[in-house]
Amino acid sequence: MKIQNNYPHHAFFDEAISSEETPRDASKELFDHLNNMGIDELKERQKTAEKTIAQMGISFTVYSDKGNIDRLWPFDLIPRAIEASEWEKVSLGLKQRLKALNLFIEDIYNDQNILKDEVVPEEIILSSKDYRPESRGMKLKHQAWACICGSDLVRDHKGEFYVLEDNLRVPSGVSYMLENRSVSKLTMPEAFQDINIQPMHQYPYELLKMLRSISPTDSEDPEIVVLTPGVFNSAYYEHAYLAHEMGVELVEGSDLVVDENDCVYMRNIDGLQKVDVIYRRIDDAFIDPEVFREDSTLGVPGLMRAWRAGNVGIANAPGCGVADDKVLYAYVPDIIRYYLAEEPLISNVPTYLCSKESDCEYVLENLNELVVKPANESGGYGLLIGPKASQDELDTFKELIREDPRNYVAQPTLNISTVPTLCDEALEPRHVDLRPFILHGEQSYVTSGGLTRVALVKGSLVVNSSQGGGSKDTWIIELEDK
Amino acid sequence: MLSRVAERLYWLARYIERIENTARLAQVHSQLMLDMPKSVKLSWYTLIEITSNEDFFDEHYDAKTEKNCCWAILGDRDNSASLMSSLWWARENVRTTRDSLPREAWIYVNELYLLVNENKEDFYVRSKRNALLEQIIRSCQAIAGMLDGTMSLNTTFKFLQLGTAIERADMTSRILDVGAFFVAQETEAQEMKQFESILWANILKSVSAYFMYRQAVQMEINGKSVIRYLVNDPNLFRSINHCVSMMQTQINVLPSSPEVNQSILELQQLIEQKIPFELGSPVLHNYLDDVQMQLSKVHNEFYSTWFHPSTTQETTQQQNQ
Repeated sequence: MKIQNNYPHHAFFDEAISSEETPRDASKELFDHLNNMGIDELKERQKTAEKTIAQMGISFTVYSDKGNIDRLWPFDLIPRAIEASEWEKVSLGLKQRLKALNLFIEDIYNDQNILKDEVVPEEIILSSKDYRPESRGMKLKHQAWACICGSDLVRDHKGEFYVLEDNLRVPSGVSYMLENRSVSKLTMPEAFQDINIQPMHQYPYELLKMLRSISPTDSEDPEIVVLTPGVFNSAYYEHAYLAHEMGVELVEGSDLVVDENDCVYMRNIDGLQKVDVIYRRIDDAFIDPEVFREDSTLGVPGLMRAWRAGNVGIANAPGCGVADDKVLYAYVPDIIRYYLAEEPLISNVPTYLCSKESDCEYVLENLNELVVKPANESGGYGLLIGPKASQDELDTFKELIREDPRNYVAQPTLNISTVPTLCDEALEPRHVDLRPFILHGEQSYVTSGGLTRVALVKGSLVVNSSQGGGSKDTWIIELEDK
Repeated sequence: MLSRVAERLYWLARYIERIENTARLAQVHSQLMLDMPKSVKLSWYTLIEITSNEDFFDEHYDAKTEKNCCWAILGDRDNSASLMSSLWWARENVRTTRDSLPREAWIYVNELYLLVNENKEDFYVRSKRNALLEQIIRSCQAIAGMLDGTMSLNTTFKFLQLGTAIERADMTSRILDVGAFFVAQETEAQEMKQFESILWANILKSVSAYFMYRQAVQMEINGKSVIRYLVNDPNLFRSINHCVSMMQTQINVLPSSPEVNQSILELQQLIEQKIPFELGSPVLHNYLDDVQMQLSKVHNEFYSTWFHPSTTQETTQQQNQ
């Protein structure tokens, strides 16, 4: 019996197995391998994978009442496969999207033409908590405001990709994408020999290249640093990983200092050394106590002065979160048309804005069919999943929306796709999303695949690792002509 | 290199070295306890004294038993100077400097931590303790070898070397203290003499220098020549003299200060002087104490020169000596 026989049928699009129990093209060779191994062998290898993760210390930090705990990264052995030709189209769409968003951000902090032309309502921008008047008047090299973007993609019941949200502030997850690949190469080496899987480990070099391209100096060898809030941050593992892979310093706020000439230096054993580019992993609000939160000890006093004086490049640039608002998200297709005069290559999920009266009415009436999201949260916090909510929860959210409509958007519950996942005795379908990473500097770059996150609980749609989700390696497969 | 990173690397190397030497110390002590007759007063509490843990021990333990003494210096996380605490801090320091070290550094240290943490109960059991200590020593050697074999002679490496050298010198002096305790005993010189060679041979073995000593010194093993060997030999990696040379080499290529140079020079002079050694007297112990004090002075100069140049030499929680 084949491993995919008796795979449960359901109403969702399955990424790997069609309704006739046959693997889709991109997954054919993978399933040949899985069938060669059989379920017992797979379970053995899953154990090996978990042991490897413990040894390599691949972890993430979870905040809890009892302090911060390092948890091992959850990984499912069965990769998710996507055909290269299909991915090619998706990556073009992602580049297009990020290019338009960067033009948008620069416009917002300068002439605001898009507001004058009433394509995007002005109050959305001015009321966004990530709009930074402190960035007004800045023009950046290559219009690189959001230099690193992690967009979340999902597939609907027909298998079409949609952008669920754009993460433009300090998107994380890319190190786990790379670690997943390392673990899967260790645990399934045969597959990599036989199947034409696109490599992904060039990401750190692409990131470094992008960071170099936004350096304000002409130096051949600009000084680049990764700025972390420190060891207690949930993504500290990733900050250290990226600094390591790029061979640049991982600094904390207290390691940096801005002098009266508005230049940034780091405190070295032999004195101060000038810094040209900062890849910051600290939110806007904390980067500079002179300008933003005074009580922040994570940031660097004077950093905004240095940036505004053009003495340091910052990725992502302060204020770029203005395009990472779930309300603004609804306008992204129009933004693409406005700046690029092109049709969006990847669609948005239909989105109702509670700030619009007609939308709000619809949302309140159909709450039990919708997913409601606060405009500025991340990590899957503060969500309402209508079809699964109790009457109490529905009532609470109605109240919340009425009190602050600007802060809420709603989307139809998507029938997001599933992927075979190793469960107790067989493969079972579990819902997934995908976070590719897009770089924008002198050139654009999209990762080959991305971080696949999987809801490990049967039927669950929640894929966030901080809330019990897991992950898989993502294979972009070049099909060979047969 | 960032001051903060330099400090963590320095401590990382110190902790790795300390873990290894603590394991060695406990191991050699186990051997000695088997070899020595009851009349020689060498108790498990000597371990606590050698590692300067008397205050902690007296506060937290009621009896000076083998179990208590071993647990206090090996497994007790509440004791900031225990092997387990050093390992925890080593892991923390490598976790927070991972970007400047080879990837294996994190993996090796993490693995060692997982191993010891899972088996720490073995520290209580005499029959299992030595096997675990053996594994710990082997892992520390693997970490040091991996770093030697994969790194370039950059600033990172220099601070690792500096940390290793100062900690090693300190621990060699502490291990020699086992002998100092012995010679200071008020026992009949004649009675002690028969055990002397066993004692000093064990001390040599505890730093894996027995074989090298045999090659270098062809006479009977005695205290004077073992001390001369472990303190002064210019070619033995674990001799205090060699550790001081290692520090001198690194300091010459780091941006150093006159204070650092001066403190190393004083240490050098201390090493070069004729070592007092008399049976039934505490002079050797006092001499080794002076060496440890001078090492501590050198350490403080490192602090004010590189790690916290503008502030006073405040030490944080992890920097307990």
